[in-house]
Amino acid sequence: MREYTEKIREAARRLLSEKKVDAVIGFRKGTLPFMNEPCIVKHADQADRLYWDGNCGVNLANYLAKRADRVAVVAKGCDSRNIMVHVLENQISRDQVYILGAPCRGMLDRRRILAELGGKDPLRVEEQNGKIHIEGRDFGLTLNREEYLQENCALCTHRNPVEYDELVGELVEEQKDVDRYADVREVEALSADERKAYFQELIAPCIRCYACRNACPLCYCPTCFVDESRPQWVGKSLDPVDTMTFHFLRAYHCAGRCTDCGACERACPVGIKVRQFTKKLEKDVLELYGYEAGLDMNERPPLDTYRTGDPEDFIK
Amino acid sequence: MSEWEPKIVAFLCNWCSYGAADLAGVSRFQYPANIRVIRVPCSGRVNPKFILAAFRHGADGVWVSGCHPGDCHYIEGNYYARRKFALLKNLLEHVGIEPGRLHFSWISSAEATKFAETARQVVEAVQAQGPSQYFVKKEAEVA
Amino acid sequence: MTEMYIPKNKIDDAVQEMMAQHKVFAPVLQGRFHDFAPLSSPEEVDWECRNTRLSPKGLFHRHSERMFDYSLSKDDPEAGILKESPKDFSPRVVLNIRPCDARALQLVDVNFDTPEYRDPWWVKRREATTLVGLACNDPCSTCFCGSVGTGPFDAAGVDVLLVDAGEGYVARACTDKGEGLLAEIASGEPVTAEIREKVEALKKQAETSMADLHLNLDLIAEKDMKELFNEEFWEDVHFSCINCGTCTFLCPTCWCFDIQDEVYEGKGMRLRNWDSCMYPLFTLHASGHNPRDQKLQRVRQRFMHKFKYYLDKYETATPACVGCGRCVQHCPVNIDIREVVRRMAASCVCPA
Repeated sequence: MREYTEKIREAARRLLSEKKVDAVIGFRKGTLPFMNEPCIVKHADQADRLYWDGNCGVNLANYLAKRADRVAVVAKGCDSRNIMVHVLENQISRDQVYILGAPCRGMLDRRRILAELGGKDPLRVEEQNGKIHIEGRDFGLTLNREEYLQENCALCTHRNPVEYDELVGELVEEQKDVDRYADVREVEALSADERKAYFQELIAPCIRCYACRNACPLCYCPTCFVDESRPQWVGKSLDPVDTMTFHFLRAYHCAGRCTDCGACERACPVGIKVRQFTKKLEKDVLELYGYEAGLDMNERPPLDTYRTGDPEDFIK
Repeated sequence: MSEWEPKIVAFLCNWCSYGAADLAGVSRFQYPANIRVIRVPCSGRVNPKFILAAFRHGADGVWVSGCHPGDCHYIEGNYYARRKFALLKNLLEHVGIEPGRLHFSWISSAEATKFAETARQVVEAVQAQGPSQYFVKKEAEVA
Repeated sequence: MTEMYIPKNKIDDAVQEMMAQHKVFAPVLQGRFHDFAPLSSPEEVDWECRNTRLSPKGLFHRHSERMFDYSLSKDDPEAGILKESPKDFSPRVVLNIRPCDARALQLVDVNFDTPEYRDPWWVKRREATTLVGLACNDPCSTCFCGSVGTGPFDAAGVDVLLVDAGEGYVARACTDKGEGLLAEIASGEPVTAEIREKVEALKKQAETSMADLHLNLDLIAEKDMKELFNEEFWEDVHFSCINCGTCTFLCPTCWCFDIQDEVYEGKGMRLRNWDSCMYPLFTLHASGHNPRDQKLQRVRQRFMHKFKYYLDKYETATPACVGCGRCVQHCPVNIDIREVVRRMAASCVCPA
């Protein structure tokens, strides 16, 4: 996917010099192996800062809500869906955004790769032909790319951008026969007590830093529910009930809007699998209402609409 | 345990279900006294935060009741509510709340008997679960 | 000051001897990361840990601290009176704290232990704790302690400094408290001249292996604060920040907090929780005005606080950063403090 870099730079140069956009949002090469930094470029001569490779997991739609200028954004499949959700929710208008579609083969899971190195520092990383070559001061290791993708990328069924103004790479084949909800079904099969124990253990390391919330493109409320004080819905300490309430309600706020981009899990400093909450909702929304977020501009989000025949077997 | 009486918070929509409760009272129907009613203008007003807050403050069960679909005083409030509650109930049960604690119903203002009957069912179901221990906050567990 | 050599096959005995008189906290592997945890047995210590994910500041400045309890019940004659919550300030040892984190505790002392105000919880825990530092023979590629006034073998903040000399550890007492702790250890042997030389060699190797960032911190100290505040590079630096707060939570020198009362059924408690200047509502005033409601202001404030305001206000010789590298490793959008400080120190603004 590094070949996209040239196309992205060329597009940025062109769009900025023709004044089609005021800024281009993309990535620049990071200072650490397996990391890249989102950056904004406002002049054509800065276009060479832009870079793209298999470590561009951050969801750039996070930087779009409530912008007033015209921007071009490099968007993978999940990012493009989140841009559509932003447009549907009136956070930005479609003609303000010029989408540079980047078909994606999945982003690497940095933490899982670092765990393989047993505490050693990677100094140089090369990705070639489906292999990751890692070199450190006194070691070398080669891994298969396919085995170290971010969890959500391994299950992705929308690798190609669903909406774009220009492509910076060839469309890729979508993964077929992907069972997106195997882990959700495993949890569903447990008893209520086992599920309670599972989720309590899942969020036990949470330090309430709210990185998951801030990395999520959907969380753009000026005052988040955790900051509401009259009434106060959730306490701010590390009390386990408060922590569970936070994760539960945050996931619920993303119901029918979440595109499973994985930004939340990627940002969490203590490695919590917060997607276990949102994936259940995603499965329910698909099964109950046949809806997938960010695909169709003409369909309202599921909680913003209704059908007269909606399932109601749980209502007396 | 025989001493314990469940506390159930009921969110009743003003136009239909609250009217049904009123009619049940006027008609002197007997039903368990464990229900504490909160009147809302429409079942669509009920926010999942309210339901979680009820559990947090010690409710053993929560019951939300509104107008039948098609009969909402605000035309479509209960349609939105139906979707909200389906997802909420599924997710709450997924994270381990016992299925007998959260109930929903459509009761029109003439259905006083249904109200009393549903109240009985709800109280029985919650009674079977015992005191609520999940999402209840007695004090911050901070040393 | 006392020095002793503890062979590796006797180190568990030494830790056991410490545990007899103190509660011992040490880096323990939990899942994929290490964190400081109370030991129930010496085998739990991971001596190969490079550094913990969360800094040990949480052992002194607790993430959620219960400060006071009170009752609001009408029948209670003591209703409304704040009572200090009971705490355990019994003697403790923090084992294998890295020199950077120990130095960070001294930087936080500047805030919590002043001539006018002494935070009782911080001060009492500091007094009850003996810090046993472990020098870094192999600094990480993201470490830069040498560029901010401390170093991999710096004994400034510790009571005892341990050095891994290969077959065993050299323990050197640096303070009276350290002397007291080493007196409890029976498994120590004398330090030979050969071992002492090895330690010197390890120190030099560690210091040279760390990349010198050539940070001219004097330039930042001397530059006019308002000029630095208004520099253009902040535009470029701030964009990627998502205000997630990870840097502040992992940073050993960050100490900002939020105090809140929680009342349930007539019983109340006053809690102090960690807060972060990265959050948009951090500086929200009761009037509704928010002086830092723009992301650029918050991002700028973080670096200015660590590398400029702290130097100006406290006239400390070092910035409020010890080069532990946690923010570099864990920032989800790769905002690199080393890059930012380099730009702050550069006397011209160079486009990247």
